[in-house]
Amino acid sequence: MSGVSGKSQGNILDVQDLKIHYPVHAGVLLRKVGEVKAVDGVSFSVKAGETLGLVGESGCGKTTVGKGIMRLINVTSGRVDFTTKAGKTVDLVPLDRGGMRPLRSEIQMIYQDPFSSLNPRWSVGDIISEPLDVHMPGLSAGERADKVAWLLEKVGLRGEQAHRYPHEFSGGQRQRVGIARALATAPRLVLADEPVSALDVSIQAQVINLMQDLQEEFGLSYIFIAHGLSVVEHISHRIAVMYLGNLVEIGPAREVYAEPIHPYTRALISAVPLPDPALKRPDRQRLQGEVPSPLAKPSGCPFRTRCPQAIASCAEQTPPLVEVSPSRFVACPVVAGAGG
Amino acid sequence: MATTEASGRKKLLEVEDLRTYFDVEGRTAKAVDGVDFFMYENEVLGLVGESGSGKSVTALSIMRLIPNPPGWVERGAVRFRGKDLMRLTYDEMREIRGKDISMIFQEPMTALNPVFSIGFQLTEALQHHKAMSKRQACERAIEMLELVGIPDAARRLWSYPHEFSGGMRQRVMIAMALSLTPHLLIADEPTTALDVTIQAQILELMLDLKQKTGDTAILLITHDLAVVAETCERVAVMYGGKIQEVAPVEQLFSRPGHPYTRGLLTSLPRPDRERQARLQTIPGIVPSILDFPAGCKFWTRCPVKEKVCETVEPELVEVEPSHWCRCHLVQPTATPGGRSK
Repeated sequence: MSGVSGKSQGNILDVQDLKIHYPVHAGVLLRKVGEVKAVDGVSFSVKAGETLGLVGESGCGKTTVGKGIMRLINVTSGRVDFTTKAGKTVDLVPLDRGGMRPLRSEIQMIYQDPFSSLNPRWSVGDIISEPLDVHMPGLSAGERADKVAWLLEKVGLRGEQAHRYPHEFSGGQRQRVGIARALATAPRLVLADEPVSALDVSIQAQVINLMQDLQEEFGLSYIFIAHGLSVVEHISHRIAVMYLGNLVEIGPAREVYAEPIHPYTRALISAVPLPDPALKRPDRQRLQGEVPSPLAKPSGCPFRTRCPQAIASCAEQTPPLVEVSPSRFVACPVVAGAGG
Repeated sequence: MATTEASGRKKLLEVEDLRTYFDVEGRTAKAVDGVDFFMYENEVLGLVGESGSGKSVTALSIMRLIPNPPGWVERGAVRFRGKDLMRLTYDEMREIRGKDISMIFQEPMTALNPVFSIGFQLTEALQHHKAMSKRQACERAIEMLELVGIPDAARRLWSYPHEFSGGMRQRVMIAMALSLTPHLLIADEPTTALDVTIQAQILELMLDLKQKTGDTAILLITHDLAVVAETCERVAVMYGGKIQEVAPVEQLFSRPGHPYTRGLLTSLPRPDRERQARLQTIPGIVPSILDFPAGCKFWTRCPVKEKVCETVEPELVEVEPSHWCRCHLVQPTATPGGRSK
């Protein structure tokens, strides 16, 4: 699996065997009765200047992976190696709050809901300059105001709008403010969790273009977490597909979309509606049933209970990601063995 | 008013010059401002638009469910099988809801009562509208739950809404909405809150049930043009409280007339086509419902607008057979068309 998350030049993030488990307590004594394996051994890497799309349905653990990398939640085990601007590689997992703080300027986050992720009582200028206060305390008031105006212009707003409040902006504009805040500390890596899902179609395209422009200008790396496959395919260089806490497939975006290998990826992509009534899709497959509860995760391959190609041995162990063709990894011995 | 078209298909619903306004801190928000469209019996019509376009308010107006205050239907007619719903009394309308027209919503929990079992909620309507005995109603309810794919339906009948997943709740809603075999089902963003594989299941289920249960027409309200392309026969595009374009889906997607429709279609990422470096966008933002411009509602964002667009609101004109468009710059192509709708 070296190519999935092996150390290589130019990787800015290496996630290795990341596990995030939550205990479940019940009864009067709140004894531990089980565990939710929200993320159960996930490995991937992100190159400098690359967008990795992380897709999957609700409950698959994609947001939890993001929060684990940001160390907003506790990680059960694994490594998250981040390479700083200074060229140092640091494992984020053992760090405490104080240890994380200097690194937070380099890893930033954009949230889904531009309505709840901005403090309504703060002006947009305050919102954007807060990270500057923390990470660049040496700036004078004038320098800070200049930087805020510059950031607002970078995201397509006007510098004088710094005095306005979030409610005076539309959803798309608020998401631009969220992006400006994320960029304030000149991060290397931005985790965007469903950044355009709450936006109207015509606004979605504007924000996606903006994110791509900023990536080019500042050499940003993105982890783009979303359930909308069409959008993810468009913006990502590579796509990683998650199901019930495990990665089932990872590879170049176009290839994964055009020729998905894992049975789950195939079903997922075949369910994506396309805006073309002339398109006939006879090979369409429908998944039966629903994603099992993560409390009652199936043994072995998590997808086997819904998989049309499952065989008896799928129940035995969780299949590892295997390279089936250059830079394409699939966690399914059944299809990988068939030549992929 | 003729209810039969030249094509021989009967019209089920005709909405004419519907205007629904809301009082917003002393100002009047014209959420729906002159909506005209019709639906044939048994058809699936998509009503698409972005937030604030007026699509949900249109649906609630048809159902006579506009909360008053702050809202009211200012004027307009909604002819359903020849009857103007806007003129019915409260009790007459109550008989129509559920039995003749039913509605499902994006979030099923807004329509399911959390303190009653779904069996109670399903059988209540059957007993009231169809005068069934409790036992008949239970049998019919179980049959409907089986039809929408609820496993172990007889036992699940007495479960409460919170005991179902989001997709399963939407199935229960559909079972409830279709149990009275209505003539019209209004589905307001029925799959927006669901995952894509579950969305595909639910859409397929709706179309499948429509086949099985008879002549139910579906008004599918959505922001998702891809969903429309895959499920609808015709589509109406709304912007600024007005219908901007109506056409059969093949025509709308292959020959969109209105600059807004064209903008929407080109701003969608197309994973099935050659990759574009950048998405095309519609400039600007959707104006606040209180600030739509005079003239054409779209001119402030329109890439091809002319002087006339700023002052004169265009009419909805038939530009080719069965294809209506509200734009000064899109004129009838064929000679015999071109009558104003």
